[in-house]
Amino acid sequence: MPPPTDPQAIPAQEAELSVVGKRQPRLDGPQKVTGRSVFTDDVVLPGMLAGKILRSQHAHARIVRLDTSRAEALPGVKAVITAAHAMGMAASSTESAGEASRRRTGRAIKLKTGESVFADQVVTYIGEEIAAVAALDEATAEKALELIEVEYEPLPATMDSRRAVKPGAPQVNPEFPGNVWSEDIDNYGKPDEAFESADFVVEGKFEAGVTHNLYAEFHVAVVDFSRPDKLKVWTPTQTSYLMQHSLAPAFGLSLNQVQIIHLNTGGAFSGRGAVRPHHYVAALLSRETRRPVKVFSAGDEEFLIGRALGKNRYKTRIAANKDGTLKAFDMSCEMDGGAVGNEVGYFGWMAGLCNAWVFDLEGNRFRRKVILTHQRPNFLGHGGMMVSSNCAVAQLVAKVAKSLDMDPMDLLLKNAVEPGHTGLSGEVFASCGLKECIETVRRESGWDDKYGKLPPFHGIGVAIGAMASGAKGAFKHDTSAAMVRVGEDGLVTVYTGIPDMGQGTHTTMAMIAAEVLGIDANDVQLIAGDTDLTPVDVGAFAQRGTITTGNATRNAAIDARNQLAKHAAEKLATEQHNLVFRNGRVIRADDPDQSLSFKEVAYATLHGMEGRCVMGRGFFNSPLPYGTMAWSFDAQVAEVKVDPETGQIQVLKVTVAHDLGRTINPLAVEGQIDGQVFSAMSQVIYEELVTDDGLFLNPSRLEYKMPRTYEMPEISHHMIETHDPYGPFGAKEVGEGPVVVTGAAIIAAVSDALGGTLIPEMPMTPIRVLKAIRGSELYENGGQKP
Amino acid sequence: MAKHMISLTINGDTYDLVVSDTQTLLDVIRGDIGLKGTKRGCTTGACGVCTINDSKGRAILSCMTHVLEWDCESITTIEGLESNGELDAIQRAFIEYGAVQCGSCTPGVIMSAKALLNAHPQPTEEQINEAMSGVLCRCTGHVKVKEAIRNAHRIREASSHAATD
Repeated sequence: MPPPTDPQAIPAQEAELSVVGKRQPRLDGPQKVTGRSVFTDDVVLPGMLAGKILRSQHAHARIVRLDTSRAEALPGVKAVITAAHAMGMAASSTESAGEASRRRTGRAIKLKTGESVFADQVVTYIGEEIAAVAALDEATAEKALELIEVEYEPLPATMDSRRAVKPGAPQVNPEFPGNVWSEDIDNYGKPDEAFESADFVVEGKFEAGVTHNLYAEFHVAVVDFSRPDKLKVWTPTQTSYLMQHSLAPAFGLSLNQVQIIHLNTGGAFSGRGAVRPHHYVAALLSRETRRPVKVFSAGDEEFLIGRALGKNRYKTRIAANKDGTLKAFDMSCEMDGGAVGNEVGYFGWMAGLCNAWVFDLEGNRFRRKVILTHQRPNFLGHGGMMVSSNCAVAQLVAKVAKSLDMDPMDLLLKNAVEPGHTGLSGEVFASCGLKECIETVRRESGWDDKYGKLPPFHGIGVAIGAMASGAKGAFKHDTSAAMVRVGEDGLVTVYTGIPDMGQGTHTTMAMIAAEVLGIDANDVQLIAGDTDLTPVDVGAFAQRGTITTGNATRNAAIDARNQLAKHAAEKLATEQHNLVFRNGRVIRADDPDQSLSFKEVAYATLHGMEGRCVMGRGFFNSPLPYGTMAWSFDAQVAEVKVDPETGQIQVLKVTVAHDLGRTINPLAVEGQIDGQVFSAMSQVIYEELVTDDGLFLNPSRLEYKMPRTYEMPEISHHMIETHDPYGPFGAKEVGEGPVVVTGAAIIAAVSDALGGTLIPEMPMTPIRVLKAIRGSELYENGGQKP
Repeated sequence: MAKHMISLTINGDTYDLVVSDTQTLLDVIRGDIGLKGTKRGCTTGACGVCTINDSKGRAILSCMTHVLEWDCESITTIEGLESNGELDAIQRAFIEYGAVQCGSCTPGVIMSAKALLNAHPQPTEEQINEAMSGVLCRCTGHVKVKEAIRNAHRIREASSHAATD
């Protein structure tokens, strides 16, 4: 597909950028550092009640008796609800018939996620909702929960996806005999031919554990459903759009009768992309009591209701030739979907695609099997499941290099894709700086002085990755709309539906509008996070913010600029295309001494005889029927030390080179990279929810480990600019590309530190590292690298 | 449940409060007083987002502190760092060095940093690591938070020079 001819392009304007590329502090910074930023838990409404949820204590049991009468009688209790109150709720209107038929779980309430709001007769995991209470305050609501009497008849449970598929295993859902939710094979190119003709094949296994996304802001919802025709929901989310699409049909409302207000969202990390049971519970409680209700999860409850990665088990084969050519991948993954299974299969599909983007392969196959167990329903972690799938790939690529006695850098360079490459599923990389990324990290990490020359238990590793910027294919469309209003004082307001969960998208949108209008980004304000006010936007996931909402915002700003240009051109006695908007002025390109101030133009336009209201409208939806238009590329080198006595891994330095097309805000980009290095390092070394029969043994922020300040490595960032033809000012994503690479680089470095020993699972906890060391050649050789 | 009358000074304002045995400082700050800048996180002392400063400028986990023990005491919350409409140097450093992302942990992170800077205006790397290890932040990976703390004294000195010029 050729680069687009942009009817809106304004070459004189964009030849020199004055806002894009500057270190712009966040526009909401002053609010956030003073405690003035309002988060959902800060919302207090008149007459608001506190909601609390009674959760299953069994992984699999029949509810023999459920008696709420004592709770109802407690003074201060306004409502007690159970499955009976949630009957008749419809599944989402957006799902296909096929999806809906899969979701017939034989239980009372089927929602878009496949989960039921309350367990009906049978509970299938610990933490499943059984009943809920609304009371005057949280203490009363908690007391009421204790008064609800539940009698269970425990049933045999299946907790492990390997055992779940064996004959005779306890069944999670009668509609899915054998506990197999779905089984798919994605074939790209010609994997069979490539494996047959290859010189050799390497194989390996890899496992990734159960996680929680650990956002700073806990799960919380404030819901006001006191009017039957308006459901107002305050909650942290990545997508108000999909929340509307889930909640409206469930309550028999039209989409815009559901108002989602997402205020500030305290982190998301891929974990806030769907409506969860507590949202429905709060709505039901509010409907029942005709009062606003807040549901806030504290302490270990946060871990019970989190939806993140379940156990994933990979088997990977790579076909290669003796000259170092990688020919094909064949990966299969057994995914523990938990008790529902609905959401995880899609992420396997994504991982299968993502694995192959960076390599010029002949074939790629990904088999994914989603298995039901009596564990928490699973979703995805930061970086989807690509953090772990890329680890599995990187380990084997390193193994190929080692078996050929080839420097891994040379192997990656030999196989890396280039601009104009057409991938196995038809994707075209209009811009691609992958080789430059690899060369940059090679140079900046001192690779050539270190690889193969470090002492035992000190290692260096490299990994690469790519990420799509945009969501087409994941959803029916990939729409973002934006509006840009110019006030008579020259201040500009951007209306956008995209949430800012910390990534800085709102500041990015302000910078894009400011660049087009030639004003300071600090003179732009955002109206965001309220579906009653903001135009449609699918949401902040699948790395669509910068490219999709960014293009919509740019188009809206261009529309507003054109409205102003009409007046300015008349005033300056020139044509509109001869105008440049820069540094707060509207300037004649051919005669820069002739100019007007932006404010003057705004005032005169608004008060002209035409009575013009300057409101630009912008829109973007990828013109492709399927697939995204721009890919980021990334290479990283990690350097680590392993303590052979304790098994602890110390990450010394991570060098990151990321092809982001164009850097809109270097300050934000560095922050994004830092956070992703942290998160991936956390996932491969620290984070694991330890479960025992479905019960989390470490559901607390003390015991579920993340790196602390003193454990963070030095991070060196390098932004590679390739000016993508589809991105606003050439920009692509930087919100998920780095996280899927850091982990793989660390795992390769650990393997190098252990003389080539692979640790076949993540996180690489001390016990697993010690196990690997004990079984390694390094141990046999008394610490000498073989 | 027994009720008690206490007096508590928050950001220089003194409140007479009727509190119960079980109420924490966090409950009172957010609930009774209505100052929402101090965030409610795990409520078990594990995440640090509820951190405030005591009268000596030390970091306190407000979710783990019974308010009854704080009769006649004085505390500072995130709302109390500004003086005469000017942001504190650490607040400005957080904005300038990009140490704020989602902002949910930011009040707790800043109050922990403030406590550190109260004791050590130019802290060593070790002191920063020690003081900040009690607050969890996933967005920033601590990197720019540490940069802001390292540079806070420069911002403070620059503004005090500006004031005397």
